Amino acid sequence: MIIMARSSRLNIWQYITAILLILVLGFHLAERIPGLSPLGVESYEESLEAHKVETAYNKYSIILSILLITALFHGLNGLRGILLEYRQTSNWTLLVNIIIIVLFLGFLAFGFRTIYIHIASP
Amino acid sequence: MVARSKFQELLAATRQPPKEVTIRVKRYDPETGKVWYQDYKVKTFRGMTILDALLQIKEKIDHTIVMRYSCRMGVCGSCGVVVNKKPSLACQTQIAAVASEDKPIVVVEPLYNFPIIRDLVADFGDFFNKHRAIKPYIIRKDPDEVEKGEREFIMDPHDLHEIYEYSLCIMCGLCYSACPVSAGDPLYLGPQALAQAYRFIADVRDEGYEERIKIVDTEHGCHRCHFAATCSAVCPKMVDPASAIQRLRKIVFMKTLGFWKKKKITQIAGPLKEPLRQIEAKYAVENILEGVDPEEQAKREEKIDLEL
Amino acid sequence: MSTRKSKVKLLKNMPGVVRASIDPFLVRATNNPERIMFILHRVTGVIIVLYLFLHIYVTSNTIDSARWNSLMEQFGASIVNKIGEFIVAGAVIFHGLNGIRLLLVEFFGVGIGKPEHPKPPYIAPSLRAAQRKAIYIVAVLSVVGWIIAGILIFTGYLELPL
Ligand code: HEM
Ligand code: SF4
Ligand code: SF4
Ligand code: FES
Repeated sequence: MIIMARSSRLNIWQYITAILLILVLGFHLAERIPGLSPLGVESYEESLEAHKVETAYNKYSIILSILLITALFHGLNGLRGILLEYRQTSNWTLLVNIIIIVLFLGFLAFGFRTIYIHIASP
Repeated sequence: MVARSKFQELLAATRQPPKEVTIRVKRYDPETGKVWYQDYKVKTFRGMTILDALLQIKEKIDHTIVMRYSCRMGVCGSCGVVVNKKPSLACQTQIAAVASEDKPIVVVEPLYNFPIIRDLVADFGDFFNKHRAIKPYIIRKDPDEVEKGEREFIMDPHDLHEIYEYSLCIMCGLCYSACPVSAGDPLYLGPQALAQAYRFIADVRDEGYEERIKIVDTEHGCHRCHFAATCSAVCPKMVDPASAIQRLRKIVFMKTLGFWKKKKITQIAGPLKEPLRQIEAKYAVENILEGVDPEEQAKREEKIDLEL
Repeated sequence: MSTRKSKVKLLKNMPGVVRASIDPFLVRATNNPERIMFILHRVTGVIIVLYLFLHIYVTSNTIDSARWNSLMEQFGASIVNKIGEFIVAGAVIFHGLNGIRLLLVEFFGVGIGKPEHPKPPYIAPSLRAAQRKAIYIVAVLSVVGWIIAGILIFTGYLELPL
């Protein structure tokens, strides 16, 4: 059987993460803009230099973590919606759900690993 | 800017159509499984609709072409076809609006997103089942209130106005045919059914909103809509399903968060305080036919010869 | 909804989700820029997710400063990468701005007008409401934002290359 549980419980997060993303993604992009950047960069390239990136990781690790979780959830849930519109058999639905969960957990772990290594090494 | 194109479309219908147009019909033969396009040359007249042209083809050129229609005036919703890639009612689309002297050709296809039975006839079985699935009727905690129906429900004009627009749906399926989600997902309830779900949830007489919300709150219910609003752009009755679905989705989300409660549920009207004033009705005796008593005439048996 | 059992062989007449998601001319309804926004929103959404995967992978190199700097140097030297970056920037700007509009419409249910009694020329209220104005605003801001992002990405500074 195709899972017909109340899907608002999941889909509501698509919009809650969207609201969060406006804030954290906005911040993340502003880091690259000279004049706006909280890192105090003079050019786009400078914002990508290792010591600036290092500062960003150490100072704003919480924002980065929120960005990682929300962007991954929002993007993958969006992708899941598109894939559910592609085929509707129960096997396909199950496969999509598994792939999405695996991708979510996999990239989440990998991203947090990077953040953790930065915080751990001063 | 864009709205002007709609006016131009309406204006075009007031013009004279080209003398002769080619109607290119997408045809399907269920016995052989063959799909092909067939061209028919049709002499036009002012005000001629696509349905007129199709009927003329069936009458004079090719009897094998099949379409569905009934009222010929945009009421029954059975003549939906895709005209030049836009789902339209054949009886409400004038040749002059879709063809011009420079391009005297009209492509008529069966509705998208429906299984096709033959030529221009689509299978509405699933479409109607989806409509049934959302329980398109007033549900009361006490079913007798509807079933016995001794007295009416109270509903003020403002309450009616909230749902009136949505209640005009003629189930023609144009919205369903235009929707980009229905184009891929045959389980998607579709704009028509979802709009009707909202129409009944918002109805002040209804108490069945809990069960209806459960039905639309699925992976193939209201969450699949992405507000492409093509449904509202093609609806011939200005039902505006796109807005109904957004209102419905808001209700579903707010209910999930625990913020939504139905604001108003009306009760059945109480017994009358005074009996209704009786008015005695009389036939107008003067002035009709000299010397004939209408009461007498009404009683007389009418003999109609049905044998042709 | 199971498909009905019948002896008639029915013709499947669905364009499918892929065409519906990328072909703006699948249905030629007049007065419907919302559909173009839907297609762009979906396409940009997919572009950003794919970029996100790549981004999470690439940024894992920041744990080694020397490698990261040389990687960025290599990266900045290629115009193809710059163009790719430019496309992703445009996608994010559009998706974010249109996302705000969709958030208001789909989640908060605002900007879609009020129910009306139909009158000529029978244009649905939601196609005339605030959300329609928001479409034009989103379109203009996206183009402006994209140009600014282009200047920043290709020149490195926020000054007009005169
Ligand atoms: C500025 C922040 C963002 C906002 C405001 C935003 C908003 C939205 C909204 C409201 C939707 C739902 C559209 C619908 O279903 O009708 C959506 C869908 C989607 N978003 Fe975002 N989004 C943002 C950032 C992102 C990011 C960073 C990604 C990628 C990681 C992303 C990927 C997607 C995808 C793939 C969809 C599904 C598209 C579809 O089903 O058509 N979005 N977004
Ligand atoms: S909502 Fe409009 S287009 Fe859809 S079935 Fe009803 S009348 Fe037809
Ligand atoms: S607004 Fe929703 S139901 Fe209407 S055409 Fe768009 S996706 Fe389909
Ligand atoms: S024939 Fe009835 S709506 Fe066209």
